[in-house]
Amino acid sequence: MRILLVEDDPLVSDAIVRGLATAGYVVDAVGDAESVQGRLDTTHYDLAIVDLGLPGEDGFTLVRRLRRDGSSLPLLIVTARDGLDDRVNALDLGADDYLVKPFALPELAARCRALIRRATAATANEMVVGRLRIDLAGRRAIDDTGRVLELTRREWSILECLAHHSGRVVSKERLIQAIVSWDEEISGNAIEVHVSRLRAKLGDAATVRGIRGLGYRLDDA
Amino acid sequence: MTESPKLKRAPSIRGRLFGYLLLPLAALMSLAFWADHRTFVTPMYDTFDRALSRAAIAIAAQVHQGNDGTLYVEGPDPGTLHMHPPSGAHLGPPPPPDGDITDRHDSSLRFEPDNRPLAWMRLYPGARETLLYRVSLPDGHTIAGDDGLPIADGHESDNVGYENATYKDVYLRVATYHTSVGDTPVLVTVGENVHHRDIVVRRLDSIIGVSDGIQLLLVLVLTLFGITVALRPINKLREQIAKQEPQSLQPLMLEPVPGEVRPLVESLNTMLMTVRDATLAQQHFLTNAAHQLRTPLTGLKAQLEVLADETQDTAQQERITRLQGSVDRLAHTANQLLALARAEPSSHGPSDFVSIQIDALVGAVIGSMLDRALARGIDLGAECEPLQVHGVYWLLHELLINLLDNAIRHTPDGGNITIRCGRQNGMPYLEVEDSGPGIAHAERERVRERFYRAAGSDGQSSGLGLAIVEEIARSHRAHFKILDALEGTGARMRIEFPSHG
Repeated sequence: MRILLVEDDPLVSDAIVRGLATAGYVVDAVGDAESVQGRLDTTHYDLAIVDLGLPGEDGFTLVRRLRRDGSSLPLLIVTARDGLDDRVNALDLGADDYLVKPFALPELAARCRALIRRATAATANEMVVGRLRIDLAGRRAIDDTGRVLELTRREWSILECLAHHSGRVVSKERLIQAIVSWDEEISGNAIEVHVSRLRAKLGDAATVRGIRGLGYRLDDA
Repeated sequence: MTESPKLKRAPSIRGRLFGYLLLPLAALMSLAFWADHRTFVTPMYDTFDRALSRAAIAIAAQVHQGNDGTLYVEGPDPGTLHMHPPSGAHLGPPPPPDGDITDRHDSSLRFEPDNRPLAWMRLYPGARETLLYRVSLPDGHTIAGDDGLPIADGHESDNVGYENATYKDVYLRVATYHTSVGDTPVLVTVGENVHHRDIVVRRLDSIIGVSDGIQLLLVLVLTLFGITVALRPINKLREQIAKQEPQSLQPLMLEPVPGEVRPLVESLNTMLMTVRDATLAQQHFLTNAAHQLRTPLTGLKAQLEVLADETQDTAQQERITRLQGSVDRLAHTANQLLALARAEPSSHGPSDFVSIQIDALVGAVIGSMLDRALARGIDLGAECEPLQVHGVYWLLHELLINLLDNAIRHTPDGGNITIRCGRQNGMPYLEVEDSGPGIAHAERERVRERFYRAAGSDGQSSGLGLAIVEEIARSHRAHFKILDALEGTGARMRIEFPSHG
């Protein structure tokens, strides 16, 4: 997995390169937006991390330019600004996620992992959560021992929905929408039953965590 | 927002105009009244005097000189007089004489209604008063009539003198006609109670008074109407200001403003522009400060993490961990200070206020804090009803982050934290309840102060969290209340939003 980092502060840049290297990523760092295009033309990247406050052309302009040129490269914005406008702007322009400085390296690594996972899922039809491999095309989940989990149609839909948003809380309402067709009705209690059965089948390959009053979150372990 | 102290009742322009007009107008009216009074009283008194003199002349005509040279007054027999009033009937019967004078015993000295000479009834038409008379010689000898009646000394070209006099406690107007019968000079004096003319004057005065009063009243009503119409542009200006959002710094329109008020509006606009520039400068500064503070902190933090991973030496790792703790605390304080500066009203404009789905915000904030809570085994959950509030998204986000951060700090491992939102009695609220030790009543005001740290709080707290909450609540016209938990010992931090927003 190769990541392009656009960050002008050498201390931050150096730390991210090293930190993500320990997480298994190869990171190429550039200090300004103008050097990005040359890199993209010669190398394939799975993700770009873009600082908004760049000298010269700023991060916003870069994101807008990349999306206008039709690039589908996943973009993670890191910035010191935390105003709502900046956030909305960046996401509206086509960034995929947003992280406010100062952040912890493990958090950055987790965000990178999630973004890459989502992007790969769209092309390779496969996701990896914890020790679970989720085959979206074959509609099956395989644990690290190679065993195919036997899931009902509804359990599969719940797992698929949670996996698409892994690491984030998914509301019960959203899960209900994911598993029922128009003519069916299902209660929140029924969801709980399905989730508890799914948990039992996942074992310790991945964890479905219940968040009181909010929903569920799929965690790595 | 704090309520401004009650101002002393300011003098209104309308009141001042009205006051300044009312006093001179009233003075003017009094002057006019006095002038009117003078104008009619003098000719009226002259008329009364002339009528009195005619009565004297009429009596003089009845004074004759006998053959022996003595003077006598012809008997007051109406029948012998041929000077009948042409239309005596319309005069009506003479009214009963004035009480004061009727009481007098010496009735022979008076013209009673029945013996009043018709001649001077005609000369003095409409006379409602009895007259006193005296025919005397220049030496004071009285020939007929009331011999105590004072004689008016001075006399003018028509041989009649007038005087005010008091006779037997009655105020009289006397007229003395200087004439001669044969070759004997005779003074004929007629006295009339002034009461009569006073009544007439009073009646006229009251008519003039009422009419002047009505005029004054009409002028005042018109003035009031005029003032109201003239002040209408100022009222419009006031409405224009009132319609603006409190944080809006839009310049006021000069369009409907009259020339006199225009400089005021212009200086107000200059001030608004200055404030707006200052606000923009502040926002610009905050953006820069955030960048300048956070970027090196990120580098420092990330470098320490990398260093900790790369170091095998446990002693060094421990040092690095302590460094990391300090950097984290520094980062936290920097964030809090920036948040506090941003929560100040000058840091956000009216366009930042939008409709915010609070229950969705709760979900987002819980999502971002969940790992911290889970690491401590805290059951973090929500009991939210759908709720919309008018506010600044990132400020409310910051508010909830701080409430939750505070709750997590004070909740023991394995405790509970519940975020609730909804409406109670129609009033929107957002609250965070924890199962920590709670906050003593005595501390509840102080914990909102900047940099105040309650006894027993951990070394990581910046003492700014609840100050930020207070500031943000205030900028949303919401109330920040610290209450007891519904169950157990913990604290319940509650934000009550205004019900209209």
